[in-house]
Amino acid sequence: MFLHNFKYEILHSLRVKDLIFWLILFPIVLGAFFKIAFSGIYEKTEKFSTVPIAVVESTEDKIFHSVMDSIEQSDDPLFKVTYTDEEKAMDMLKKQKVLGIIRIDGKEKSLSVSGEGIEQTIIKSFLEQYAVQEQIITDTVMTDPQNVETVVSALNSEVSSTENIPLTEGDPDPYVSYFYNLIAMVALFGSVTGLHIAMENQANLHPLGARKNCSPTPKFVSLTASLLGSFVVQAVCVIVSVSYIAFVLKIDFGSRLPLVYVSGILGGILGVSMGFMVGSFGSMKEGAKSAICMSVSMLCCFFSGLMVGNMKALVAEKAPWFNEINPAALISDTFYCLEIYSGYDRYIEKNITMAIISVIFIIIGFLLTRRKKYASL
Amino acid sequence: MEKTVVKIENLVKRYKELIALDHFSLEIKEGEIFGLLGPNGSGKTTTINCLLSLLSFDKGTVEIFGEKMTPVNYRIKKDIGVIMQNVAVFDEMTVYENIDYFCGLYITDKKVRKQYVDDAVKFVGLEDFLKFYPKKLSGGLLRRLNIACGIAHKPKLIILDEPTVAVDPQSRNKILEGIQELNKNGATIIYTSHYMEEIEQICTRIAIMDKGKKIAEGTTDQLKKMVKNTETETIEILDIPEAVMEEIRDLPHVYNASHDGNDLVISCSGGKHNLIRILQVLQKNELSFGRVYTTLPTLNDVFLEITGTELRDKED
Repeated sequence: MFLHNFKYEILHSLRVKDLIFWLILFPIVLGAFFKIAFSGIYEKTEKFSTVPIAVVESTEDKIFHSVMDSIEQSDDPLFKVTYTDEEKAMDMLKKQKVLGIIRIDGKEKSLSVSGEGIEQTIIKSFLEQYAVQEQIITDTVMTDPQNVETVVSALNSEVSSTENIPLTEGDPDPYVSYFYNLIAMVALFGSVTGLHIAMENQANLHPLGARKNCSPTPKFVSLTASLLGSFVVQAVCVIVSVSYIAFVLKIDFGSRLPLVYVSGILGGILGVSMGFMVGSFGSMKEGAKSAICMSVSMLCCFFSGLMVGNMKALVAEKAPWFNEINPAALISDTFYCLEIYSGYDRYIEKNITMAIISVIFIIIGFLLTRRKKYASL
Repeated sequence: MEKTVVKIENLVKRYKELIALDHFSLEIKEGEIFGLLGPNGSGKTTTINCLLSLLSFDKGTVEIFGEKMTPVNYRIKKDIGVIMQNVAVFDEMTVYENIDYFCGLYITDKKVRKQYVDDAVKFVGLEDFLKFYPKKLSGGLLRRLNIACGIAHKPKLIILDEPTVAVDPQSRNKILEGIQELNKNGATIIYTSHYMEEIEQICTRIAIMDKGKKIAEGTTDQLKKMVKNTETETIEILDIPEAVMEEIRDLPHVYNASHDGNDLVISCSGGKHNLIRILQVLQKNELSFGRVYTTLPTLNDVFLEITGTELRDKED
């Protein structure tokens, strides 16, 4: 009887159109949307390439020269500098080989750019900052020469304060985090399956529940088989979604892709369990419970930052405990752990938390549906 | 001696202030088609749900096949087939899969189950619809699928709770014939309905319910004997003098006569040759008449006699 129920639960779930939409089609569509919508911004803002500029020196400025050299020699150079004459520089600017020309004439520095954009703004900002700092030092030399060292040191500390200080092995990528949250959402949509299982096994909530309760199959067997069947279906859906994101959309999950699958599947189990528990509460009609379930899922996703990027950080600041029990946050946290930390301690801890919460949800669901006779049907 | 299949004693079920079942008792013997007749809200479905241990009740006992019925008495449940009022099938599974699924909750042996499912499909005449999904079936075919899901495991006791609601006449007849066939094959049937014609057509014994109480029980003939009005004669006649009306009212066994429009309606209580005597009066007075027909009492008359209201009135 167990295998019979298990087999038919899988068959049934794979044919529920709503489920297939939310668990497979929706993430495919939303994933593609994310890719189209955010990849452009991502490339322009987060991963801009080195800005090519031309420098035309009427008079030699050794300090500026050395500053530009040090910028060019850094690991992630801001500028690629070509020293040339005015005519060639203008020609390069017209042909878009460079995006700006810095002219040095004595103490004067002027700028020509080819248009408007982030790169042009960067060149302009750099030149302005350089001019300000140069002026401060020059003024100090003129007015208060004994304090030059202090001023230079202060300017350096200003620069160092804007440096990235790596606290972890990697940096959380806001672009990839959208896809993590998407996987978390797919996992949580499994709550709809869990909800159906709870409903369809209770005589007072569904005609199928009444029919099943009349059969000689114990409710525990029927529920367990259905839950396991839905875990399998949920796992398949998560695998499809993660594979689509990783291999079709080519989102880089790093070298730990198999662990992304593991967490996704565990998240799916958490989602099903949550739906099972919600479905077991009270005697509301299916529509009302579905609405509650979807709302809870969406709310969890909202607080985990799916809709507003910095929401999760805000929750972490105001109510950190909520992130520890929010299923969506837990699922996406496991992915962050994979991305950020070199070790597996935090990752394992998050997965264990998910497993514990799933077990609690299932136990509550079983306790609520264990009733053998109903007061009303 | 016939075995008792179902025994309900003093069943009381309350929903807060409302008494849904009021000391209801019943005994059903093996091989019967037992009808539970009553208007909507009379307690038929509540009785069935208590019988199946789906509903808790305040007082009373329920025994099936001589054993106390409990939610975990799986041995009894194995021999019961239930067809509920609401169609309970999976929309995402085909006709065959649905029957196979529900049969599988009772029968574990795959070979036996396949045979049983095939028999059930044949029995309800859904051979041409095996790969259809329930949504593609008409109301009548859907009801037949619902029945097949409930009887595929060849139960000894079959409970049908208003299985013909919203079913076309052709499918209704097919369903009723099927129920009689199941009974011939050895199953005891409990059939609830508020359609008295159906109950009268197929049931060997009937209990009439109203307001959670059993108000009458017996065979159709036994119940009809409880009614004063044993036959109603209707004669088409344009006009009739009052003196003739009085003469008819004075005939033996006639207890009421009225002329309504073009119809002379005479209610008789017992006796034989009532119609002949009435027609003789009309001939003697040289009154011409048209169609003549006799109506025998229905279960509605029984209900009317006992409760003072009509079964049909209550349905509204």
